[in-house]
Amino acid sequence: MRARSFAWLLLATIVGAPDVSAAQVGSAVTLDVKPRVCTIAETDELCETTVRAQWRSERDESLCLVIVGRPEVKRCWDNYSEGRYSIELAFSEDLTVQLRDPNLEHVLASAAIAVIRQAVELRRKRKQPWNILY
Amino acid sequence: MSRWMFELAIALVLLAPAPLLAGAPCTAPSADCVAVGEWDLSVAIGIGERSNPIAGNDDIPLFVIPQLSFYGKRFFLDNLEFGYTLIETESHTLNLIATPGYDRVFFFRNDPQNFFVPGVGLVSAPGEADVSEEMTRVEIAARRARSTTYFTGTEWLFELGRSVGQLSALYEATGRHKGYEVRGAFAVPLVQATASLVLSAGFTWKSSQVVDYYYGIDGYYEPGDAFNPFVKLGFSQPISERCSFTAFVHYERLGSSIADSPLVTEDAVTTAFAGFVWRVF
Repeated sequence: MRARSFAWLLLATIVGAPDVSAAQVGSAVTLDVKPRVCTIAETDELCETTVRAQWRSERDESLCLVIVGRPEVKRCWDNYSEGRYSIELAFSEDLTVQLRDPNLEHVLASAAIAVIRQAVELRRKRKQPWNILY
Repeated sequence: MSRWMFELAIALVLLAPAPLLAGAPCTAPSADCVAVGEWDLSVAIGIGERSNPIAGNDDIPLFVIPQLSFYGKRFFLDNLEFGYTLIETESHTLNLIATPGYDRVFFFRNDPQNFFVPGVGLVSAPGEADVSEEMTRVEIAARRARSTTYFTGTEWLFELGRSVGQLSALYEATGRHKGYEVRGAFAVPLVQATASLVLSAGFTWKSSQVVDYYYGIDGYYEPGDAFNPFVKLGFSQPISERCSFTAFVHYERLGSSIADSPLVTEDAVTTAFAGFVWRVF
């Protein structure tokens, strides 16, 4: 009897396990941000891309989307269970998108876009003083 | 003077001294450093002319001068030259190269080295010409076919502070005349601020086979080797990130065995050009 109860408990745990992802903080709100990675050449200063954010919740929420270090970006929803937001941005360092409560006090979910610089291999240019075009 | 010049150049190239003054390391793309695996195309558009020392041949106008290059990890393509880098330090580079012989430009206007210059060859190859019995040996020699040739060899490039030098020891590998060339030059920046003014001096030594192939006349004029010194003054002024103004004057004195050829009427070649250079990519 005890074994059967344990088996049911184990099955319920497996089937009912929440979808855990890096972008999920807390139990209800999930945040998905694209792209997850922005790859730029070593010579480029900025990653210029359209940041697309999408969030979902099991119940209606009142929350705001903000970007760390970008006080001008703020989009709020009042009693919604999902929302989408996109914006053209140029950034040189990793970008963190957050969902916060309307007072911006608590982080409900967070996701980051990593900036990866491709290493450019360099070599010396051929300098030929003999060449008439040098 | 014969092959000792070539052998000396080979020795110098292979025994290139240890760095005296190291150049700046390549940390970012610049005029001195290029990205591996990327093509670079620039086009100079302007007005210029190269004098032609060959009797009866017009001077060569210069309007458009493209410059195309590609650098791999070791391989490189630089206009009509290509090569493989054996050693590269911050101030010395040792390359194996293939480079065209340049004398042909004076005989054939449509030589690839006379890029984008309008008009057809001034001197036709045998068979294309209306050869008459009155044609003298000199005229026949002038009209003789001269194929495109390629030299292969080693090239030593070095930097001494802001000055740069070059020494190349070359052998004609396409089997037309099997001659030798040694090319050497040294360039010193007189002004190097936003604008640059560079004075260069150098030489080309051509073995008798090279000189004979272009300037000899069978049974009539059989030249020896030739030593051609040159000086050049070049000016460049950047206008924008992709555009600059450039101008240069290049004066090359022809060695006596070339200047004395009956095919040649001038003992020097002067090239001058002024225009704008656009970096396409």
